[in-house]
Amino acid sequence: MIQQYINSGILEAYVTGSASEQEVQELLYMKANYPEVNIALKELENDMELIAQQMAITPPARTWDKISDSIDEIVLRQKNDPKKFEEQEDTNYTNFTKPDNGPHYIEVEAENNYMKVHKAWKWVLAAIFVLGKVFLAFAIYFYLENRQAKLQLNELKTELRQLKK
Amino acid sequence: MKQQLTYTEASLPTIKQTKHSLYTKYGPLLLGYIKEVVKELNIAEQYLAEIFNELKEQDIEEILKPGAKPFLGLQQLARKKLSSFISILEYCTDRNDIEAKKSIAGNKFIDLMNREQQLVFCGIHYYGKTIATLATELNKSEHTVKGLLRESFIIIRKHRNDTAVH
Repeated sequence: MIQQYINSGILEAYVTGSASEQEVQELLYMKANYPEVNIALKELENDMELIAQQMAITPPARTWDKISDSIDEIVLRQKNDPKKFEEQEDTNYTNFTKPDNGPHYIEVEAENNYMKVHKAWKWVLAAIFVLGKVFLAFAIYFYLENRQAKLQLNELKTELRQLKK
Repeated sequence: MKQQLTYTEASLPTIKQTKHSLYTKYGPLLLGYIKEVVKELNIAEQYLAEIFNELKEQDIEEILKPGAKPFLGLQQLARKKLSSFISILEYCTDRNDIEAKKSIAGNKFIDLMNREQQLVFCGIHYYGKTIATLATELNKSEHTVKGLLRESFIIIRKHRNDTAVH
C-alpha cells in the first residue's frame, strides 16, 4: 500500500509545488509515519537539485551587488527614524505610498536619481529667478552710475587744477 | 510601485549574511533554472535579484527550517515569481513566438522525455502549473498527469549519472 502511494506521483507533485493543500497534509502525515515515504521524498529532492545543477550558471558579481545595495538601503531607511519625517509633514501634501497601519516609510527607488518635490517649489524657484534678474539689473545700473560719477569727479578735479594754474 | 519590505533593525545584518549564504550556495542553480524559463540571461539576472530582494524573514525561516531543502524553497519562490512572466507571455499574439519562448531546450533530461512527459514536467516544473490545471489543459485525469510526472522523474533518475550535458 505504501509502495502504491509512493508510485502514485504525489511525491513528485509535492516536490514541484504542484500538489493540492489536502495532498500536502496527507503527504506530511505519511512522511512522519512511514520512513519509506521519507526516503523516497529525499531522493526526489536530490533529483530536483541535480536537474538544477546540470543547468547552473554562475551569476555575475553585479547581481549580488544589486541585492546588497538593496539591503543596505533598507538599513539606512531603518536608521533614519520615520517618525521624524512625519512630524514635519506638510498637511497639504498627500503621501500616497504611506500605508495606513504599521511602520511608515519614505519610498526610495534604488536605481532612481530623481527626487520628488512639492509643486509649490515651482513658484518659489520662478520668484528666485525673477528677483535674481532684478538684482542684476540694479547692480548694473548702480555700477554705471558710479562709473559716471567718478568720471565727472575726475573732470572737475582737472578743471580745478587748470584754474589754480 | 516597489514592494515595501519590513525587517526589524536588529535582524538586518543577519538577514544580509543569510541571504548572501543562500545566494552563494544556490544562486547559480536558481539562475540556471530561471534562464531556462525566460531564455535571456540579463532578464534571468533581474529575476534572481528580485527574488533575493523580496526574500523576507519568514521566507528565510521557512526555507531553512529543519528537514527542508533550501534550494526547493527558493525554487518555489522563483516559480511563483516566474508565473507572472508566463502570464505576460500568454498575451503575445505571435503563437510561434510563444511556443519558442515556452519550449525548454538544451536540457538533456527533458530531451529524453516523450511529448506528453515534457508537457507535464515543463508545465509543472518550469511554469508552476498545478496538477488540476494541467489535467484540464491536456484533457486527462489528475491521476494520469501525476503518472506522467512520475515517469519524467524516473527518466531523470535513470540518466542522472550520465556526465554528458547538452
